[in-house]
Amino acid sequence: MMHKNDLRRFLQADDGYVPPLVADRNVYLPRRARVRQVVRENSLVRTLELVFEDQIHSSDFTYLPGQFMMLSLPHCGEAPISFSSSPTRPGGFSLSIRKAGKLTTAAQELRPGDMVGVRGPYGRPFPMADLRGRNLVFVAGGIGMAPLRSAILYCLDKGDEYGHITVLYGSKTPGEFCFMPDLTAWRQDERLTCLLTVDEGDDDWQGRVGLVTGLLDEVEMDGGRDRALVCGPGVMIRFVLERLAALGFQEDNMITTLERHMKCGVGICGHCHFENKMVCTDGPVFTRSELPDLRKL
Amino acid sequence: MMMNKNLVMNKDYLVPLLRKLAKTHRLVAPVRNEYGDTLFTIITDLDRTEIDLDHQPQASLKPYFFPQTDTLCRYVIDCDPATGAMDYSFHVQLPQNRPTVYVGVRSCDMFAVMYTDMVFLHEHERDVYYKQRRDNAIFITIACNTPFDNCFCNATRSGPFLESGFDLQLTDLGDRWFVETGRARGAGLTEDWACFFRPADEADKRAQFQAELEARGRFKQLVHVDLASKLLAEDKVPESIFRDLSSRCQDCGGCAFICPTCTCFNITDQPRDEAGGERVRSWDACTFSGFTAMAGGHNSVDVETGRIRRRFLHKLQYDVDRHGRPSCVGCGRCVGMCFGGVDMIRFISMISEAGENGAEAGE
Ligand SMILES: Cc1cc2nc3c(=O)[nH]c(=O)nc-3n(C[C@H](O)[C@H](O)[C@H](O)COP(=O)(O)OP(=O)(O)OC[C@H]3O[C@@H](n4cnc5c(N)ncnc54)[C@H](O)[C@@H]3O)c2cc1C
Ligand code: SF4
Ligand code: FES
Repeated sequence: MMHKNDLRRFLQADDGYVPPLVADRNVYLPRRARVRQVVRENSLVRTLELVFEDQIHSSDFTYLPGQFMMLSLPHCGEAPISFSSSPTRPGGFSLSIRKAGKLTTAAQELRPGDMVGVRGPYGRPFPMADLRGRNLVFVAGGIGMAPLRSAILYCLDKGDEYGHITVLYGSKTPGEFCFMPDLTAWRQDERLTCLLTVDEGDDDWQGRVGLVTGLLDEVEMDGGRDRALVCGPGVMIRFVLERLAALGFQEDNMITTLERHMKCGVGICGHCHFENKMVCTDGPVFTRSELPDLRKL
Repeated sequence: MMMNKNLVMNKDYLVPLLRKLAKTHRLVAPVRNEYGDTLFTIITDLDRTEIDLDHQPQASLKPYFFPQTDTLCRYVIDCDPATGAMDYSFHVQLPQNRPTVYVGVRSCDMFAVMYTDMVFLHEHERDVYYKQRRDNAIFITIACNTPFDNCFCNATRSGPFLESGFDLQLTDLGDRWFVETGRARGAGLTEDWACFFRPADEADKRAQFQAELEARGRFKQLVHVDLASKLLAEDKVPESIFRDLSSRCQDCGGCAFICPTCTCFNITDQPRDEAGGERVRSWDACTFSGFTAMAGGHNSVDVETGRIRRRFLHKLQYDVDRHGRPSCVGCGRCVGMCFGGVDMIRFISMISEAGENGAEAGE
């Protein structure tokens, strides 16, 4: 029995040595950021463009698509929100926020010039380096488009580094699509195939009606080589992953994000647990092979 | 690595030694209060306080490093009169860093501090609030010659005697303490106050060895911790056990609050007035029905059937995978705490019984 070795592994603090803290580093302390612009995406979603007040912090701030920030608003605590902007476009970042509860409702009232608190970036990003040279299929449902937009803009800004991009985006109603100016541009860009569908159309809607899984049958993909990135409500993720698997996608080639209740964002508070993982630090990005049971999403 | 020294201290010298240490350090030790409860207490007057080394302290040292509620920062909301824009700022006051000697800490609680050190200082981002309180602590632990009724630290390999982690470990040899030095501060202390100690001789070492051997034979609980970890890893635990225990959980969080290795917390804003408030961190429990609830009512945990799952799996399976050993330290506190009988010993006996009967995994 390796009692002593076990012990040593467990007790990294065995000599009582606690490494000194980097000056004034306090993971729970938000930085101040000012709202530069507010974009009304639809009746429930606003995109905030934010810039750090502290210039020095602003200049060495970097992040990757798929990561998130903890956003603070007065009296509302904090909420994890993904980047919807791409780090290839520096000088600030965007968070797109869907009204769901207390903080996300208060966020709808923010105006340019207002101050918010943010800390991050947190979480494991999309594997942007591994995706190079691949054709990419992005499948989004609702506000799930936010982190995928970050990745799509990133790939487009990197020019030839990525293969053909397919964007499949489903929304409840035509009025609930986010990022309309981007969608319009993408539909005209030959590097992309961009298909939209709604659960319920209206008088003006001439596009597709039906689930986003239906769009998967309309595009050409190579499940052995291409990579799929899927983001949206839990049930949608489950059906899309199942369909992709049926179309020949290997488990390592399907990438998605998990949503959990989060408090600390840095792996300590315990709230975001998923089996033996913490979604805030081990995720929120996971490959299908890391998520054995899709019913638990 | 420094050699651990073996020394002997006269029984009557402990309080004089503490009196010396109290000149430069805050003193915390188990004290029995007027209601008959033994609790770790800050000792201000050594001469009028009786340290109780005979009973297990009801709570662990956890609140000294990770208090039940802790202000992370104050926030101030303002409005720029010229532009009407909202201003919002955060102001931190870190807890005081107070050199403290913790006396009469039992092996399980010492082990738990080493575990929480890992959680708050080593495994993730460092937590400055914990660090402020944890820095400059000296631990004088006491080996357990007679384990208490609910103890099973022999099975979690976190006692009744420790090999490291403490600054000084005391073993009761009747008329004298056998003293081992562990971390550097403990060795330093025996040098600074050499007059209280003498080197241990062969008879002392034999007596200490005897005490440790006898202690191991005195456990009243037989708890198959390693077997439990194995059954969990092999997915051989019937769902019905989780369902049964979950349905008995009363949502009180007592097990997590009393547990020296439960570290989950919540962060909330507590408004003071229009112009600001405090951001507070407070203990939380993974067994609470709202622990994983999300906006819109979705919950990744089925509270009815699985709310107690996380607590046991984290301690007996996930931490074993990660660190090679369970993070239950066998203190038995949750056993005394839970009136629904949803405790570590109960859980382990249920799954080991099911394992023996070769029950099928799953439903
Ligand atoms: C990694 C990640 C990225 C996210 N990205 C986005 C995004 O880009 N855009 C967007 O609109 N939403 C996003 N969300 C969801 C968003 O965090 C929740 O809608 C938000 O926390 C709800 O807070 P509330 O105060 O409005 O709701 P309330 O229900 O009033 O919140 C109550 C409490 O529960 C917690 N909570 C509730 N729901 C969630 C949740 N889903 N996730 C985490 N904590 C929760 C909050 O911390 C809060 O303290 C993301 C969630 C995660 C985990
Ligand atoms: S789970 Fe129970 S026995 Fe184990 S350390 Fe926590 S309170 Fe003590
Ligand atoms: S949000 Fe705290 S551990 Fe993940």
